[in-house]
Amino acid sequence: MMDLTWYLLGVLTGISALMLRYLAARMQLTLVTWGGLLAGIGALLFCIAWAVGAYLEGVPRAAAMGLLMFVLGGIVILTVTARLIAKQNRDQQGGAS
Amino acid sequence: MAEEKKNSVEVSEDEVMAPASEPGGVDEGRRNLLKLGIAGAGVAAATAGGVVIAKKLEGIPHDETYIPIREDYKPFDGRSLMQAFASSKQLIAKYPERVKAWEREVRKRDSKWDVVGGNAEFRKGKMSDVPGFTQLDYALSHGAWHTQSKFHGPAYGTNVGLFSWAQSDVAKNKWKFKSRLEASDTIKSAAKLYHAARCGIAPHDPRWDYHPLYDPVTEKEYSWEKDFPFKPKSVIVLLSEMDYVAMAAAPTVLADATSGQGYTDMANQAGSMAKFLRGLGYQAVAAGNDLGISTAYAVAAGLGELARAGWVIAPELGPRIRISKVYTDFDFVEYDNPREYGVTSFCENCKRCAVACPAKAITLDDKRTFEPVYEGAEDPDYTWNNNIGVFQWHSDSKKCWQYWCESGSSCAACIAACPYNKPDFWHHRFIDAQNVIAPGWVHSAMREFDILFGYGDINNPQKIKDFYKSGRKL
Repeated sequence: MMDLTWYLLGVLTGISALMLRYLAARMQLTLVTWGGLLAGIGALLFCIAWAVGAYLEGVPRAAAMGLLMFVLGGIVILTVTARLIAKQNRDQQGGAS
Repeated sequence: MAEEKKNSVEVSEDEVMAPASEPGGVDEGRRNLLKLGIAGAGVAAATAGGVVIAKKLEGIPHDETYIPIREDYKPFDGRSLMQAFASSKQLIAKYPERVKAWEREVRKRDSKWDVVGGNAEFRKGKMSDVPGFTQLDYALSHGAWHTQSKFHGPAYGTNVGLFSWAQSDVAKNKWKFKSRLEASDTIKSAAKLYHAARCGIAPHDPRWDYHPLYDPVTEKEYSWEKDFPFKPKSVIVLLSEMDYVAMAAAPTVLADATSGQGYTDMANQAGSMAKFLRGLGYQAVAAGNDLGISTAYAVAAGLGELARAGWVIAPELGPRIRISKVYTDFDFVEYDNPREYGVTSFCENCKRCAVACPAKAITLDDKRTFEPVYEGAEDPDYTWNNNIGVFQWHSDSKKCWQYWCESGSSCAACIAACPYNKPDFWHHRFIDAQNVIAPGWVHSAMREFDILFGYGDINNPQKIKDFYKSGRKL
């Protein structure tokens, strides 16, 4: 089961990398926003691995706590980063016009 | 215009660059370079951090034992091993002042428990309808102890069964190894074959031997010089792993069952290793808890680090281990170094074992000491069972034993509660990796998270049910 999780995480990592490439081609990303995107996606992927591992070892509470802490952390980071990207691009478009 | 012309004169047509504000301009190029530089620095820092963590996880090697030892330290008297003493009628009769001091402290805790009847009480057990103490649980435990009891005898037996000192089967021809490394590799590969979880080799150190040796079963005293069959040069230390799910059911008879299986494994593994060495033409004697301090030899062989509760914490296995030893005169080996794994620093801040201990036998003091500081420790007739002169946390194992006798199990709540006691899953290894570099306050936080995430809780009847389902997919 854990092996399958690692495989799926590999696929998800690949998809995330493609999405980042797509985003980088269309939007101006700064170091901070790059860091935010990587940390946010990393937290979500980490959370999946943690939750499955904890569930498999028979500690569902650890899985639930992991979901709560890492997913929440990942979503907060990604939301803040998305707003930052949107603001930067808006400012840039405003500056260009 | 003239100013513009003056500036443009120095730039040839080929060298005309895009305006700085456009992508690919000078500023953009610099920015990309800066980004690349920062990303490179980040990767380099992460790599360096990874190397530091990997080194720390392997343990920081020391030439000699790194635990401070007082100059007046004397090797431990085999007659002062708490369990040996408590199960020996002769020692109890010989040292009435110890019994008196012990029972004085017991009475302070409003208990009528007595030292003389304790051993028989423990052997009898406390079978009942309480989950974890039923006929099923005791039968499981007796099964686990069976091989050990049948072929060796009580845990502290000396020169008996598989731990016999007989050397009649030593081969006449001495097998020669090409190198020390080959010899060590061969010994450790044999340990793996005998199902040891870890194996380390330490030079023999008389400081860690019992002087004199004492067998509480036969009530015999032995001397290293007169009675032991040879002068040991090396001690091979073997670790056997106890079952995680059974240990999680502590403090019940299930924890006792996995301890019993650990003792059986100790006898099997050390017995086989000693036989192997004798087959190679070298003298060898297997030992469990007898002959010398197992924890000290395990630390000397680099297998783990001494923890708050007095046991050894081994990387990845935590405290869920049993230690056996093989004393041999074979010394053409590569010895292992004692290694520091960051356990002491973690134990200073954690204290979860001490809080979990139902007998309150484990000290809550922050720092280690050369002498015990627990209640009643000012009386030397009460601290006879402590290894005075070694800088460590000194537990009051007499309280521990009283709890064993009164509860009818060998408890192990300290092992079950320890944050290092985890099954082999990636996320625990991840936490281990960050623990070795984290400062003390993070260790305290990790203890809280461990509790919050549901690890190490004791007295949980669900864990008993979990154990009896744990073999379903076997």
